Parts: sequence; C-alpha cells; structure tokens
Amino acid sequence: MSSGMWAEKYRPQSLDEMVNQTEIVSRLKRFVQERNLPHLLFVGPAGVGKTTSILALARDLYGPGYRNFIMELNASDERGIDIIREKVKFFARTAAIASEVSFKILIMDEADSLTTAAQHALRRTMEMYTRTCRFCLIGNYSENIIEPIQSRCSIFRFSPLSEEDIKSWIRTIASKENVRLLEEGVEAIYQASKGDMRKAINLLQAAAATRGGEVDDVVVYSVLGRVSPKRVREMIDLGLRGDFIEAREVLRSLLVDEGLAAEDILRMIYAEVLRLNIPERWKVRLSDAIGEVDYRLTQGSRPEIQLSALLAKLVLAGEEMGR
Amino acid sequence: MTDGSQPWTSRFTPRTLKDLAGNKRAVGRLLSWVRSWERGVPERRAAFLFGPPGVGKTSSVVAVANDLGFDLLEVNASDYRTGKRLDALIGRAAMQSRTVLGRRRMILIDELEGVSGRQDQGGISAVARIVKGTRSPVVLVATSASEGWEEKFRPLRQVSLLIEFSPVPFADVLRRLKTVAREVGVDVDEAVLEFIAERSRGDLRSAINDLESVARGRDRVAFSDVEWLGERDRQEYTPEALLKMFSAKTLRDARRVLASAYIKYDDLFDWIYENLPLVLDDPRDLAEGLDALARADIHQNRARSTQAYRLLKYMFNGMTGGVALARRRSEGAGAIKQIRSKLRRLGFPPSTFTVSETPDGVVVKPVRYLGRDWGRVNAELRGLGGRWARDEGRWVIPYFRPPQLLWRYRRTWHGRRLRKSVAARLAEKCHISTQEAVGEVIPLLKIIFQGDRGMAREIAGWLELEEKEAEWLRS
Repeated sequence: MSSGMWAEKYRPQSLDEMVNQTEIVSRLKRFVQERNLPHLLFVGPAGVGKTTSILALARDLYGPGYRNFIMELNASDERGIDIIREKVKFFARTAAIASEVSFKILIMDEADSLTTAAQHALRRTMEMYTRTCRFCLIGNYSENIIEPIQSRCSIFRFSPLSEEDIKSWIRTIASKENVRLLEEGVEAIYQASKGDMRKAINLLQAAAATRGGEVDDVVVYSVLGRVSPKRVREMIDLGLRGDFIEAREVLRSLLVDEGLAAEDILRMIYAEVLRLNIPERWKVRLSDAIGEVDYRLTQGSRPEIQLSALLAKLVLAGEEMGR
Repeated sequence: MTDGSQPWTSRFTPRTLKDLAGNKRAVGRLLSWVRSWERGVPERRAAFLFGPPGVGKTSSVVAVANDLGFDLLEVNASDYRTGKRLDALIGRAAMQSRTVLGRRRMILIDELEGVSGRQDQGGISAVARIVKGTRSPVVLVATSASEGWEEKFRPLRQVSLLIEFSPVPFADVLRRLKTVAREVGVDVDEAVLEFIAERSRGDLRSAINDLESVARGRDRVAFSDVEWLGERDRQEYTPEALLKMFSAKTLRDARRVLASAYIKYDDLFDWIYENLPLVLDDPRDLAEGLDALARADIHQNRARSTQAYRLLKYMFNGMTGGVALARRRSEGAGAIKQIRSKLRRLGFPPSTFTVSETPDGVVVKPVRYLGRDWGRVNAELRGLGGRWARDEGRWVIPYFRPPQLLWRYRRTWHGRRLRKSVAARLAEKCHISTQEAVGEVIPLLKIIFQGDRGMAREIAGWLELEEKEAEWLRS
C-alpha cells in the first residue's frame, strides 16, 4: 500500500485498530453491532482521533465501499449555511440503498465555527432528514454548539493523548518507514506537536525528508525554523525595532503570498511573544493586546487592519522598552 | 462659432442667461441683486459668489452683465496679489457708476482665493475698501472646496451678499455635453458622455475639457477610448483628498474630506490605511491612529451585520478624525525614510543617490551611472508608486500611494491559484480543512518536496498533483 502522507497511511482503518480513546471506541463499537446510531457530537482538541473514529466507524459499518455512504463537509470551507443545506439535501435525499443500514452519515468538521444562526438552520435540516441521514458534528468545544443541537446528539468528549501515546506511535511509524529516529528527535517532535498526533506525524515525515532518513532534535528544529513562525518572528522583531512599514510588508506576505489565516498568524505571534527575551511585565501587556485583537478578528471585516494595529502596538512597546 | 482653434471651454462659454446650466437659484439671486441697483445703491454693495470650480460662477456674472446691458470690468485678483495694485486698477473705476460712454458699469473680481490675506499686504482689505466706497455693483468670485471658508475672507463676507454655487447636476452636465458634441460634429457614444459627466462631479468646465481631449479631431468616440480617464481620475484626485484629511485639525474638517472625496468610503479607507504609517511616523501617533482605524473597521462591520447604518458615522469619525488627530508628534517623514531604507537594503551606500523632498513627491536622483543596477532600483521604486523621469534622470515617488494589497494579490495570482488547488487536494485526502492544509501541511510539504525527491514523487502521485503544482511545491 502506497500512501503519500504518513498521517493518512497510518490512520487506523477500523475501530479495532484504535489504541487510544478506549472508552469512546467501545461505545462506538456497540453502535456498529446494533447497526444503528444517533446523531453524534465529537468534541476535543486537534489530532486526538475524532475524524479517525468516525471514518473507522463508517468503514466497520458499511464495509470497504463506505465512501458511498458518507459525506464530509468542513464548515470553515463552505460558503454559508445555504450551501451546506443544499449539499445535505442532495446527499440525504436518497436512503442508503445497497446497504443493510438504512441511513447515511454526514460528517461536519469544525461545526463549532458555524454562527448561532447557521447552527439553528442546521438543526432544522438535521430534523428534516433524520430518517435517511445521521449527522456527526465535530468541533473543539461543545460550548460553541447551541443547546438544541447538543440535546439531539450523543456527545463524545475526546481526551488529549498522553505523551507516551504519541511518542510510541511515531517510533512505530519511524521503524516501519526505515527512519533512524533518535530519542532527542522524539522529544523535539512531541514538544512541538503539543499533543496533536497529526502534527507530530507530519513533522516526523518532513524531518525524515530533510536529512536522508535520520532524525534528531537538530533536524526537527531546523524544519520548525523553516515553516512560518520564522517569518512571524522576523515580523515581530521588525516591529520591536520600530520599522512598522517593513513589518507590515511581512504581514502582507504571510496573508497573501502564503495564504495564512489571520487567526493562525495571531496564534503564532502569541507563541513567539511568550518566547521573546523581554521583561515579563511586557509579556503580560502584549498578551492583553493580542487578546484584544483576537476578539476583534471576530468583530471586524478587515483582518489585516486588526493585525496591523497590533504591529503598531509592538512598535510602541519596543520604543518604550528601549527607554 | 467658426473659430475651430479655440478651446471648447471658451468656445462654449455661456454668453447669456439662457445658456447657463444649473444653479438656477443662485443665478436668480445674483440677477435680482444687480437689478436692485436700478433703485439706488443697495445695502450690500458686493455679491460674493463661491463654490467648487467649473460650476459657472464667472459665467453667470458675464451672462448677467450681457443681458442687463452692463459694461463689465473684469479683474483677475490672483494677478494683483497686493492691495496697492488692486486699488490702482479698480479703485477709481468703482467711484464712478458709468463709463465715459455712459454705460452702467459692473466690476468683477475673480479668483479671490489667490489674494493675500496678510495684514501687511492687505489684498483682502483693499478689496473690502473698494466695496465700501463703490457706486457700481462689485461681484467677488472665489473657488472654495465645499463650505471651506477661509478666515481671510471674513472682512468681505461681512459686507457682501453671499451666494453659494453648487456642482452642476449630472443631467445638466450631460445635456450640455450633448449640445457641444452636436455642434462640433463628432459622433460620441451616449455612454462616453455619461461617463465624462459622471466623473466631472458637477464640474462642467472639466467635463467639456475632457470631452475635447477625447473627441477633438475625430469623427467618432467609443467607450473604449475613454476608459483610461477613470484611472487618471482616481490617481490624481485621491492623494489630494488624503493630504487634506491628514492635515485636518478638527474632526469636522477631517470628516469633510469623506464627503468631498470622489471615491467610495471603503476605497478611501484602504488609501488611508496604506498611507497612514508614512504620515504618522511617531510610534505613539501610529499606534493611536491605527487603533482608531481598526475600531472604525469594527464599527463598520457592526453596522453591516446588524443593518443599523446609523453606526457608520462612528466608522467615518474613526477613519478620518481618529487618524488625523492622532498626528501630534509625527514629522510626516515616513515616505522619505522608507525610500532611504529600501535603497540601503538594495545594497547601495547613501552617497549613490540624492534623495530630496519636493512638492511633487520624493525625488531620487542617482549620482553616478547605474548601468545594470538601474533595473533593480527601478523595480523597487515602482513598487512604491515611483516613476522614472528620463529627461531629468531621476525617479519621482509620490507621497501618497494607492493601496498595495490589490496589486499584491494581482502579482501573486499564479502562486495563489496553485496553492489553492493543492490545498483542496490535501483537504480531501487528509480529511482536514483547506485552512489547515494551507497553514499546517503545505509548509511541511514544501520541505518534503525540496528535500526528498522519492518521497515527493510518491506524495505527488497519491495526491494526483499536476506537474506545475509539484513544481510550485519544490520552488
């Protein structure tokens, strides 16, 4: 079997292959045995097995042709609830013929990014097609899902993976791929992944590609240094040194040339600011400013302006610290 | 009308009242004020006509004089900047109500905005003196941006009948343009006339000028012949509005630019954002001004999402006054600083160029022959809106530049399209959002594609990438 991205190649195909989230997995297995399931709501941090669980369940339920009976939507990629409803309508119109199960499964990732109004519309859609379609909504926080949807779903709370879960799994992958993975490399990957299995595997693969299949901490850090945070750091440094205009150029290049989302850039700025060699008091003040921008990103319509305003605050902070 | 060499604006200048377009009420007031002189010297001996350019202020005076049989003494005030010279020219004429031939006299003092208001020179007070003693109607004309009354006109306002002229309505401009086109015998598309009328913003003179510049010497004018005018308009007008906005001292003055700028406020917002750091070069001013702009963005979004459009006024205040009044410590030297740092970054010692500020913008002049380096420098300065003036051997970079974001989007279109298609493949294959694909996976994928050919080939096959997509990942 040849699969390009290791994160996909080593994704568990069946609920039986899943070693983590044992509690959840055993409950899901019962649904498969009964050939029936309720609407599902999976919540938990990134990379802990939410999507993997529902895909494995679907394969166990429908067999190898499971792809015909599921549809995956990502709420953050769809333009508006109306388009989502159209897609759902089209998908759920027909029952799952050619299967001993009478319903199909619609998987909606990042459901918690939908607005309240959109969620209410989604709830009506869920009710309309309950006979032919089950919904599996996936998100990071259940608080962002409206109560009426929560009460119609079985809620599964995925817990963060343990350090050992992640470390042993990437060791397994490394040995299967003939990668010499040193213990310092394991540690560096784990630290960078912050408990996100997919991130850890992707990082392992990129690190393995850089230096002929030997991975230590130096390689991992060089990979990390080559991805975006480096430019984010450059932007912050330019700001602190007082060169707003050049800092803004970098910001624009991140937004436009690299196509990063403002939220992602802000997250990186936050992480970098905490690492800066500046008085602790300033970290608190900057964190406050970042928090304000984080909120404003949900309120404004021009993300670049909001991030620029933060850069201007960095310039001011740099000036005041220098005094 | 046979003199074909005359500019169309003078060829079609109204000679009588019935030729005038727009401003009926203002002309009516002028007319009845002039008529009131028949019953003796009125209380207000001068009429003060003000309004934007090209709306018929001077033409109205000429037409009234012609129709009522006055002998018009026309003075262009900006030619006589000091009081003494104005006095010598019209002081005596104003003391007599009739010419030597017995015709009644009317005095027109045009372009008053060019007269010095300073006490020592006393141009304005000389005019005020003339008005006080005159026995003939004196009409004063000043071009002013909207109601922007300058302090220097105060002595004149007190002794004059104030008559405001407004922009000529679109329909009147259009009708006039049609007449002109017909008379000169050029077949001009209706769309062209509408376009010219629209962009004239009620300035009939500039509309006729524009028509002449596209139609003179031709038989036919199509829309494709005039599209470039739109571009010119934006480029020339907006910087002016910005300059006014950034130098405003009151919220009212800053807000006014919004009303007079002939671009959509969303576009003006982008212009302000682009140029703000060039003007606000002090960190405190910059942070304050940008925060005002960022809050303006939020006010706008609230107005949109709740459809409570009354909230827009807070946006307008923030994006104009909030930015302009943040300027307290700045020197406004951002543009020249940026240019210097760009040149340094290109690796040239400061002595390679002279960099100076002129009214047209920052001028960069190479001290020595640049040879092959010229292209590099030119590309960089063009990015800042600069132009190479070959005759003078120098670049001129305007102080205000159009928003760069659109330009950047256009320039990077190719790469963004490839990124989008790769992200869509990844999202599907890896069960993630395209946003995650762009933010998390593509950066790592690029490292893989640059580091391990075998692995790259395998992944490219798995994702079913096209060659140019794989190439983009390698680059």
